[in-house]
Amino acid sequence: MLKIIARRVFVAIPTLVLVTLIVFGLQKILPGDPLLTMAGEERDPQVLAFLREKYRLDDPFHVQYLAWLGNVLTGDFGNSLRTGVPVSTLIAQKLPVTLQLAVMAIIMAMLIGIPAGIIAAVRKGTVTDYAANAVALSGMSIPNFWLGIILIMIVSVQWRLLPASGYVPLTEDPLQSLRTMLMPSFVLGTALAAYLMRHTRSAMLGVLTSDYIRTARAKGLLPKTVILKHALRNALMPIVTLSTLLFGELLAGAVLTEQVFTIPGFGKLIVDAVFTRDYAVVQGVVLCTAVGFIFMNLIADVLYILINPRLRHPQ
Amino acid sequence: MSRPQALDDGTMQSVSPVTAPVLAVKDFSLTFKAGAETNLVESVSFSVSPGKTLCIVGESGCGKSVTSLALMGLLPSPPARIVSGTAEFNGRNLFAMPERARADLRGNEMAMIFQEPMTSLNPAFTVGQQIAEGIMRHRDVSKGEARAEALKMLEWVRIPAPEKRLDAYPHQLSGGMRQRVMIAMALANRPKLLIADEPTTALDVTIQAQILALVRQIQAETGTAMILITHDLGVVAEVADDVAVMYAGRIVESGPVEAIFGDPQHPYTIGLFGSVPSLGRRQGRLATIKGAVPPLDLMPKGCRFAPRCPLADSRCHDEVPPTVPFGDGHSAACWYAPIEQTMEARQ
Repeated sequence: MLKIIARRVFVAIPTLVLVTLIVFGLQKILPGDPLLTMAGEERDPQVLAFLREKYRLDDPFHVQYLAWLGNVLTGDFGNSLRTGVPVSTLIAQKLPVTLQLAVMAIIMAMLIGIPAGIIAAVRKGTVTDYAANAVALSGMSIPNFWLGIILIMIVSVQWRLLPASGYVPLTEDPLQSLRTMLMPSFVLGTALAAYLMRHTRSAMLGVLTSDYIRTARAKGLLPKTVILKHALRNALMPIVTLSTLLFGELLAGAVLTEQVFTIPGFGKLIVDAVFTRDYAVVQGVVLCTAVGFIFMNLIADVLYILINPRLRHPQ
Repeated sequence: MSRPQALDDGTMQSVSPVTAPVLAVKDFSLTFKAGAETNLVESVSFSVSPGKTLCIVGESGCGKSVTSLALMGLLPSPPARIVSGTAEFNGRNLFAMPERARADLRGNEMAMIFQEPMTSLNPAFTVGQQIAEGIMRHRDVSKGEARAEALKMLEWVRIPAPEKRLDAYPHQLSGGMRQRVMIAMALANRPKLLIADEPTTALDVTIQAQILALVRQIQAETGTAMILITHDLGVVAEVADDVAVMYAGRIVESGPVEAIFGDPQHPYTIGLFGSVPSLGRRQGRLATIKGAVPPLDLMPKGCRFAPRCPLADSRCHDEVPPTVPFGDGHSAACWYAPIEQTMEARQ
């Protein structure tokens, strides 16, 4: 088992290298010149030349890439071209925020989506099934920012139950932190719950008609055991796949939701960086997100092996 | 033209009346379509006694599997609907019991083995877990005791290296092994009735013989009543005490195995035996039954075999034939039964 995991980790390395190449390369292809932003209105050629020299922008591609990669490996993502703040500092500030939001949102999505999918599958073709599907469809189609604003209006403004915006670090005041994040993670979670519900439903439908479910019932097992143990266990693969992918996506930040609830997360950081052509910041954040994605894929692989014994003993 | 009287209630007695039957099915009809004119299974009656084996024989689609699933309570309803009939299991009518009470019987007093050993075990759990689970469901035992019992069951069904197999996953076992595990699982709570739906069809011939021998032996040891569903007449000859021949949802002939094989009375049964190749010199071509089973909506009003029967006349097409007893539990549902006398009288 450890051997299989080690192999998956090893396979992830080339992907990682490719990601760094793309992250670095795309920056170079993008139109626009960050120095124009930095140098301001005057655009003194001498200043421009000095800046070019300082940021080694005239070096050949591979030299720039290797220099950058070497720095990245030591944790140095460079400084923001705009503010001069080290990118690693920026990431260290925003990552916990985004991580907390992502974890809470995915938990929310799973708590809503998976049970709803199971119930819809078991009650296939009934009113419950149609209702669950209708709710899921609205969950997918309602824009996050709209739901966010409506929730703020009702829950925060009218009922005064939860704070409307802001961010409190988990380490400072855990309860207040959870309270502030509750609404944004709910907004993000419901949209994802819809996808999870649909996939859970179809996976369960496929499993529920299989022979071993009939065997489980022939043993006299009660519906609860048949569904939650024998069926769900075998329907888990697509659910795990989707959950990890959705979580990876959440790590990239949720621009609109962060904007609505004024959360200082990755989403805002990256959008600001792109608009100001802050190369170093974009590179750092994108790289972080990509690594997060690859890591989540690794987690999914390990979970597959835990769920499916057939993967544990490759013939 | 002399013909014995049909039984009043139209049932067929297929067991010796000495011991009370474990299961007695009377006038069982089942449909999958509400309001359909013809039922998928129509007025089926049979019974099976402790220690005895009843073979239900018929071609695929004749309703034999559906009947067994209905007895186990494993048919999804809707769409399946029991139209009429009773199934007395140890004196209690299965069809009148609440679902929870039936779940308490399943895998406990009545158990079932299925046709597909490759897909009938849950791929996510070990063999030991799956056997122990059934034991723990119906008996008040600890996890350890259930595991020990599961090991005993694996030994009993003669699985080599049972300690090792206990923690094996189904995909690590061969088809024959898996079917042994299924048998172990079904017998774990010493059921009074075992329903085996084509338990050997999916297996190699040599494995088939082993599994059949095992089932026979276990039955001799435990006195379990068994309903064996098969289309394999070789299997029937080997294990059956009684036989019920089904055609298109009806039992056309039933009785002790010797009577069915030695003196078949229904044209369908006669045709069925004619279609089995035997060793030695064959005289002419292998017999076949002409035509195919009619679809349910084209089923004749009278005898369902009439469209394919060489003897059929207009009455056969229009009127349901009576069940004619010949003594010793042997009976056939045919207007021409007993067939020899009728044919002689005609000539």
